[in-house]
Amino acid sequence: MAFLKVVQWIVWKDLVTEIRSRETISSMVFFALIVILIFSFSFSMNQQAAQEVIAGIIWVAFAFTGIIGLGKSFSSELQNDCLESLQMVPAPKGAIFLGKVTANFAFIFVVEILLFPMFVIFFNLDVIEEIPILLLIFFLATIGLSAVGTLFSALTVQIRAREVMLPILLLPLVVPVMIAAVEATKGALHGDPFSLYRQWVELLSIFDVVFTVVSFWLFEFVMDS
Amino acid sequence: MIHKAIRRIQRLKGWFGGGAALCIFAGLYLGLIDSPPDYYQGEVVRIMYVHVPLAHTALFAYTVLFGGSVWYLWKRDPIVDNMCHACAALSAIFTALALATGMIWGKPTWNTWWTWDARLTSFIVLLLILIGYLMLRTFIDDPEKEARYAAVLAILGFVDLPIIHFSVEWWRTLHQPQSFSIRGVSISSGLLVPLFCMSVGMSLLFSYMLMVRTQLLYLTHLLHAKKGRLLSQFHLSKADS
Repeated sequence: MAFLKVVQWIVWKDLVTEIRSRETISSMVFFALIVILIFSFSFSMNQQAAQEVIAGIIWVAFAFTGIIGLGKSFSSELQNDCLESLQMVPAPKGAIFLGKVTANFAFIFVVEILLFPMFVIFFNLDVIEEIPILLLIFFLATIGLSAVGTLFSALTVQIRAREVMLPILLLPLVVPVMIAAVEATKGALHGDPFSLYRQWVELLSIFDVVFTVVSFWLFEFVMDS
Repeated sequence: MIHKAIRRIQRLKGWFGGGAALCIFAGLYLGLIDSPPDYYQGEVVRIMYVHVPLAHTALFAYTVLFGGSVWYLWKRDPIVDNMCHACAALSAIFTALALATGMIWGKPTWNTWWTWDARLTSFIVLLLILIGYLMLRTFIDDPEKEARYAAVLAILGFVDLPIIHFSVEWWRTLHQPQSFSIRGVSISSGLLVPLFCMSVGMSLLFSYMLMVRTQLLYLTHLLHAKKGRLLSQFHLSKADS
């Protein structure tokens, strides 16, 4: 399968670059730690208030760090004209897209896994039983975020003011992901039964399917040179 | 060589403008003077004749933008891109006006300028997407690239719109019963006729503005291209002599 081979090579390339430089993940983790710190100043955190706002804080931190990682995904390709090479690769553009989405997904998901224990420690969360369902929520929300984010990363990297335009374009479009992820996380952290917030998890899955397909198709027009 | 669609627009746009003026004046007369005040809301209800058509037209404009963007990616005709550009700006204006009139209506009836109601929230997200779209266009120098990227964003945003709407609706209705809904108010035919008139009028007005703006953008681009050609010819002839 030539298509899957290309996907595999792109993922491999990004992972190797990341393992050698450790730029993206380390900057994302430290940025997120700073976000957590700022939030703990902004709200007077007693146990009860923390319960109410913690899901929102988690997802604001994840979304902002995700944007940092997504922005780097294509801006790193600017060196040595790698972007032009990617545009000229005699392979379907969709394969490049899926490779990039997978790599971005891996980075963001790893950062989320690293950060979540920090939230548990700093905000005294009691989540041992809910970990599998939280992982599922993180997994689904991160797919949607990285699918749309990768498309916009490829789009904004080729224009002026790219650092500003990525969040401006991306955040309004991922409003459904944010709402669904926050509501589902809130439900899970409260220890509610799954049936109460099942629809949010379903909404995340619908968003993932729709936006992976649409972005996959539109990526071809973004990479067209 | 001027595109033949531009000539057709030149012939047709007067009819749209005239029709818009006729429908809007008739609708305003029927709505503001002829129709009775509402039993519950009194005279305040009359802003509905402006607000609801504005909101409809904003959505209609966004649908046109989506259609134009798909068409552009398919045919790559620059004039379709001019149309999309014009359409996005108009859609943003209509969305902003719908939000503004909605807030003015909300103050006396709901006693608040703003509430995180499903429709309000999805409209403000729509407005943000449209502003992002217009900003994106200003940040790209190459016109072909500008058109392509803008079309990609418009399509993605249009696909997202129903998902945003449903997510926001669930988000609000799960927490508290939706306190205000204009669906609950049954509309009698005395109100429906002016409302319909205004809706048609606004759509015609939008079409008229779209035509004028498309013409303007197209001719501006043509002029720039011509200026560039003349300048390069001038420099070439100077180099020769």
